[in-house]
Amino acid sequence: MERSASEKIRLGIFVVLGTALLVVAAYLIGNRQNMFGSTFTIHAVFNNVNGLQQGNNVRYAGINIGTVKRIQMINDTTIVVSMVLQEQIIEHIKTDAITTIGSDGLVGSMIVNIVPGNGKASQVSSGDTIVSYSRIGAEDMLSTLNKTGENAALLTADLLQVTEALKQGRGTLGRLLNDTLMASNLEQTIQNLRIASSNANTTLKQVNKFIEGESFKNSVAGVLLTDTISGNRLKKTLINLETSSNEIVSVTRQLDSLVTDISEGEGTLNYLATDTILVKNLDATIINLKEGTARFNENMEAMKSSFLTRGYFKKQEKEARKAAKKSKQ
Amino acid sequence: MDTTITIPKGVRNFFIEVGEMSFFAGRFFKEAVKPPFEFKELLRQCYQMGNRSLVLVLVTGFIIGLVLTLQSRPTLVEFGAESWMPDMVGISIVRELGPVITALVCAGRIASGIGAELGSMRVTEQIDAMEVSGTNPFKYLVVTRILAATQMLPLLVIVGDAVALYGSAMVENFKGNVSFQLYFYRVFDALSFGDLIPATIKSFFFGFAIGLVGCFKGYNSKKGTAGVGLAANSAVVFTSMLLFVIDFIAVFISDIFFDL
Repeated sequence: MERSASEKIRLGIFVVLGTALLVVAAYLIGNRQNMFGSTFTIHAVFNNVNGLQQGNNVRYAGINIGTVKRIQMINDTTIVVSMVLQEQIIEHIKTDAITTIGSDGLVGSMIVNIVPGNGKASQVSSGDTIVSYSRIGAEDMLSTLNKTGENAALLTADLLQVTEALKQGRGTLGRLLNDTLMASNLEQTIQNLRIASSNANTTLKQVNKFIEGESFKNSVAGVLLTDTISGNRLKKTLINLETSSNEIVSVTRQLDSLVTDISEGEGTLNYLATDTILVKNLDATIINLKEGTARFNENMEAMKSSFLTRGYFKKQEKEARKAAKKSKQ
Repeated sequence: MDTTITIPKGVRNFFIEVGEMSFFAGRFFKEAVKPPFEFKELLRQCYQMGNRSLVLVLVTGFIIGLVLTLQSRPTLVEFGAESWMPDMVGISIVRELGPVITALVCAGRIASGIGAELGSMRVTEQIDAMEVSGTNPFKYLVVTRILAATQMLPLLVIVGDAVALYGSAMVENFKGNVSFQLYFYRVFDALSFGDLIPATIKSFFFGFAIGLVGCFKGYNSKKGTAGVGLAANSAVVFTSMLLFVIDFIAVFISDIFFDL
């Protein structure tokens, strides 16, 4: 039962190729998980997937229900994560479920968690996109923590100072805490306040009673409070007073500006008022004038006696005498 | 010749070898289901293979478990994950190391034995004599040996796994103060049928490959007494290679069904 070489070769090639095909098929099937059993796909949009990879598990309420099929970058802040989930779980996932990305333990791989909503929404269908909640990354969290820590350090330093001051009885609060005398004083004050307030209360009651009584209505205060005509008059008077005061103000302003002009300007008045040299000059001029007139009188006397001008003076005297006579008649 | 003339000689010989072996395997399946069955010879072969390989498997398994634990201990201690030792060692031994190491040991022990035995029978024309005397040598010699190897190897693997885990537990007991009870509790806690079943199915194929290659090489040995040595040698080499190919395929397939 000897077989030919070509038969052996053909069978050999068939076996080798068959084995290779089996390996390739097994690899492809193993790579694409959830191949056995029907599945459906849903999507979620994230802006940071925290190192999620294709093939990572998807959990719904803690149960592994599928895997991440594809992670697609749409733009710089939008990453669409497509998940392949088991068909039998679809009835439990509602449209208000929320997806988050978490990690499977401290050093474990990343997983997608689908958190159930309140259950009132409708059931998801294949191809739906459900709401996602981006977890804060560890780095962001640490930087926030760092800031918080720095602030806490500053706060505690301040607090330390405050408590030190309080302990030593410095400041109002410190005195409040430590000063026993002050405490008793305060207590006394509060008691006094209480008495005062009760007194005020009774006084107010009395005032109330008085206001409501007849004698008050006839008094000046009562008239002032109740008479509307007097009120109107008073109002008018007040308005007039206001306008008068406004005018006074404007006049005062004008006067003020005038005085300022006088004191600061270069007008005659100012010159007269401020220039001391002028006063001296005027003084000297008046003295000279006095001397001048005295000399002039002397000259005139001399001219009367001079033969050249004597005739003129005599004529003058005659005319004067005539005028006097006329006035007497 | 025909179209095969363009194929290089090495490749051609490889394909011829594979084809011949496939025909040999086909003949085995045909003969295996056809009565009469050689039960007595089968039991004898089972005893021969199982019993005579047992000590080898025990020693190898024990040392593998012990060494694996010792070697991985420092790393796990560094991570503070010492308590994960039973899980790690248990899973790696049951899934992979147990079957593969046992099969490799048996390939050396059984395949070479069969190859040499059948080769010398072929060379001394005992097989031809059997054919002449009316006994079916293939049924009597080949079928019983392949069946015996296929049945014995999973048992040897299970024994090997147990001993390896025992060796590992011993190290943990000495070094980590972990009781045997706690150790095995953790091991069985970590293991699932998804670990055990693919490994057991895999070891049936390992056994089949060992028996098949050993018988094929021995049954078809030529060139006198030198052929006997060659048959034994190539049986071991070819079996070892085939074991890894089977392991490779088995891991892929079990990955699909058991989601490792």
